[in-house]
Amino acid sequence: MKNYFTLERVTALVIVVSCLGFVDFAGYYGQELIAEIAILAIFAMSLDLLVGYTGLVSLGHAAFLGIGAYATGILTVHMGWNVASSMAAGVIMAGLIAAIIGAFVVRLGGIFFIMITLALSQMFYAYFLKNREFGGDDGMPGIPRLDLEMFGLDASDPAIFAVFTVIVAALVFVLLDLIMNSPFGRYLLAIHQNENRMRSLGAPIGLYKLAIFIVAGMVAGLAGSMQAQHMGFVSPDAMFWTVSGIVLIMVIVGGTGTLVGAVVGAAVVRMMSHELSSLTEYWMMYMGLFFIGIVLFAGDGIYGTLAKYWHRARDPKAPQDLAK
Amino acid sequence: MFTDPTFLFIQTLNGLQLAMLLFLLSVGLSVIFGLMNFINLAHGTLYMLGAYFGLWVYVNTGSFWVALALAPIGVMVVGMVFYVTLIKRLRTAPPLKQVLVTFGLIFVGLDAVRMSWGNLSKSIPTPDVFSQSVTIFGEIYPSYRLFIIGLGVAVFVILYFVLERTRIGSVIRAGVDDRDMVSCLGINVDLAFFGVFCIGCYLAGLSGAVAGAVFPVEPGMDMSILILTLIVVVVGGLGSLKGAVVGSLMIGMAETFGQVFLPQFASVTIYALMVVVLLVRPGGLFPTRAA
Amino acid sequence: MKIATKLGMAAVVALGAMSPAHAADIKVGMILPYSGVYAGIGKEITRAFELGLEVFGSEVNGRKIVLVQADTEGKPNSGLAKTKKLIHSDKVDVLVGPVSSGVLAAMRDTVHNAKVPFVIANAGHDGISGAKCSPWIVRTSFSNRQIVRPMGKWMYDKGYRNVYLMAPDYAAGHQMMNHFKDGFKQAGGKIVGEEYPPLQGTKDFGPYLAKVKAAKPDALFVFFAGGPAIQFVKSFGAFGIGKDIPLAGAGWLTSPLYIKAQGEGANNIIGSANYVPSIDNPANKKYQAAFKAKYGRGGSEFAVQGYDAARVIVEALKVVNGDTSDKKAFMDAVRKVTFDGPRGKFRFDQKNGNIIQNIYVYKNIKQGGAITASVYDVIKDVQDPSDSCKS
Repeated sequence: MKNYFTLERVTALVIVVSCLGFVDFAGYYGQELIAEIAILAIFAMSLDLLVGYTGLVSLGHAAFLGIGAYATGILTVHMGWNVASSMAAGVIMAGLIAAIIGAFVVRLGGIFFIMITLALSQMFYAYFLKNREFGGDDGMPGIPRLDLEMFGLDASDPAIFAVFTVIVAALVFVLLDLIMNSPFGRYLLAIHQNENRMRSLGAPIGLYKLAIFIVAGMVAGLAGSMQAQHMGFVSPDAMFWTVSGIVLIMVIVGGTGTLVGAVVGAAVVRMMSHELSSLTEYWMMYMGLFFIGIVLFAGDGIYGTLAKYWHRARDPKAPQDLAK
Repeated sequence: MFTDPTFLFIQTLNGLQLAMLLFLLSVGLSVIFGLMNFINLAHGTLYMLGAYFGLWVYVNTGSFWVALALAPIGVMVVGMVFYVTLIKRLRTAPPLKQVLVTFGLIFVGLDAVRMSWGNLSKSIPTPDVFSQSVTIFGEIYPSYRLFIIGLGVAVFVILYFVLERTRIGSVIRAGVDDRDMVSCLGINVDLAFFGVFCIGCYLAGLSGAVAGAVFPVEPGMDMSILILTLIVVVVGGLGSLKGAVVGSLMIGMAETFGQVFLPQFASVTIYALMVVVLLVRPGGLFPTRAA
Repeated sequence: MKIATKLGMAAVVALGAMSPAHAADIKVGMILPYSGVYAGIGKEITRAFELGLEVFGSEVNGRKIVLVQADTEGKPNSGLAKTKKLIHSDKVDVLVGPVSSGVLAAMRDTVHNAKVPFVIANAGHDGISGAKCSPWIVRTSFSNRQIVRPMGKWMYDKGYRNVYLMAPDYAAGHQMMNHFKDGFKQAGGKIVGEEYPPLQGTKDFGPYLAKVKAAKPDALFVFFAGGPAIQFVKSFGAFGIGKDIPLAGAGWLTSPLYIKAQGEGANNIIGSANYVPSIDNPANKKYQAAFKAKYGRGGSEFAVQGYDAARVIVEALKVVNGDTSDKKAFMDAVRKVTFDGPRGKFRFDQKNGNIIQNIYVYKNIKQGGAITASVYDVIKDVQDPSDSCKS
């Protein structure tokens, strides 16, 4: 890698630093907002792995969020595990289920993938809605937060928790950035650009797609576990199709295939939906129109479009990245 | 009770009724995909509009039959407007973009309906001629459901006849098989596609108007039927009339009998069925081409 | 450029956090669904609350009462996030809402810990009168237990001995049926069968109704509300079950909000509700007239809960002279409020904060072409037991 300081990395660093700085003078509500956005950013980045890098559009990604959340909830509340182990277990559970589902879903592409992921996540939703052992539609309250005693910190302090979420999000970004810039990541990008060529070169396409599906599921599970800790609560609504829909909107609005685009999208969409909903009860319509506008006129997303102009301004003669 | 033939027969009728509603919805979705290679995720929204238009016409004219006649046309017009403004613009774009736009339309449609008709659940009153129930083998059965079954069968017969026996039908079938070849032959494929799209929207609206007397007319009714429709299309295979019929029957029966015999698995029976079919035939039972 | 964008976004958030209302205003946080499945009820309660302010006063001691609406979307996580916003960002003086018990369960601890007065205007979660009670929470609506348990004994006394039950397969559905079972079995009755169709997945009640018919019970007791209630009642009528098996249920089965849509099937149904529009007392006549004048139709049971909530808040404010800075004094005043309202004598249980109210057993009869609920019997002063409430 010649240039370590790509636009993506610098942007990510700036976002992290400003969030951490903002935590200090933000009130209770601001800190809660940062934590929420950080968690959504992790969730969106995991979906970007599928949508932006592999070309697999999932409308059921919230299922993994829910699995991570419920695993954490069930293990801590019902079985008395400590939070750290429950988080790890949640991530592993999400990965396992991603492996099972992925094994038979990734070989179908495009439209089938969209429809089946939608249907399957609704199945999970229906299961948790019905199952009263885990609270059913009332949900499961009383989920504790990660024990940060060893650092001398109290995770129930919203400022501390907000910093915790931002740091985890930053670590996730670094990890995913490493993965996507490794040979594995390059392979996936090549598959996305021209699957037939890669197939003729003998690459095990199915395995690669399955692997990234599992990684995406695990990261979503992590986001779910953190969301459960943040709210102290989990309910089947976490897996409803609108959650998968909103995170897809976040990824597209921010810009696919850049990881940091997902973060930008998460922040923009989350704040938009809250501001819009206090202005009008028909905020979903405006969100939908905004989304359609982005798809039609700014297909690269907010970050993607800005990055394009940046690159063009810096070096007008260089060929533009074909992956976008 | 479970082996009582009358009980089983009544449940079969219930399953058929659901299957027919699903058929009206899925056939449009499936053939549109087969021809134009894109899935309209807002198909459920068209169904919901059909129910609301039907209700609106009923309230203003007092006649169920006028509502049934006009609602699907209204939905078809809405579909045409979207085709001309949005979808045509995306004909050259990657299929993903088209799907995403229709996905955004789901949100728009949902709130548009709430803005126009409010949030409360409503219903279209069953037409008088069907308000008296009939007695079959000593059991009372709502005659309106028999009407739904009859309507579904009639639509199937008409579609079959058009597709198999008319020239326009053969153009459509050829277009599904090999679009480029057909256009090489000098046939205006785009016009044929537009026609198919319109019919698909019409059928979605018809399904909604008909269902509006049985299911509650409410915002959100689009997604509850869309998931089932997607499963029908996935199981039956994209692009074929036969796939839509078989898929609808399978899912309709599985839902109905699943609720009766396996109530503890009620929510997961059809998903399990979908998984089993896909393991055996990844493209669905009667695909017209690889997905 | 990114820093500027981020700081800009931060500024927007900070600006948004500053309430545009006058600093001396009394802020009521309406934590209700304004989108999603329950939006209709959320709006109904808000409308009635606004009417209540018009009738009982929208200003106390020079301070104007101002509503701050926050959309829970009917989802626990959105509800919780909005609750935090109302408490910490908008700094409301009192909360009113929510509709769904799921949202209530998610927000209860936050509200209790923040010590914010909370007037529940719909959610019937039983725990709130019991283990989850709080000195900061009162409820003007109902508990699931109040609505359904008295019907057990009532139906037994009417001569029904074998009853079949049906409710959607979710927490409230099971809670409702358990309460009926307790009451009915204690009186000596027998439950001959139970069905729990999936909550959002039932495409057809036909199969379930056929099972009911085959079991030949004396009566069918159900809990359905909203869209499923419309579908269930229509199917019940279309299959002609009512000829042999009378239908009774929790009152929302044929709520005024949609009884017209249910057609003939709604006729002769018996329901238990905390309110029926035809209750005959002066306060109710006044309420119905005012509602009709402002909104063009009669007020439903959901509306009266919001209307009474408004009155509770206004009366309490009058007691403390509009001073909400002593939250404990204000909350005490809220708990002690009592008046003669549309439902009869209105008061809270002083221990668990739940409303003590009559349960009206109604029967739908056809009058002048329309089917309306007419009061059939009254079960007086139904109250939730307070033993598990430790506050």
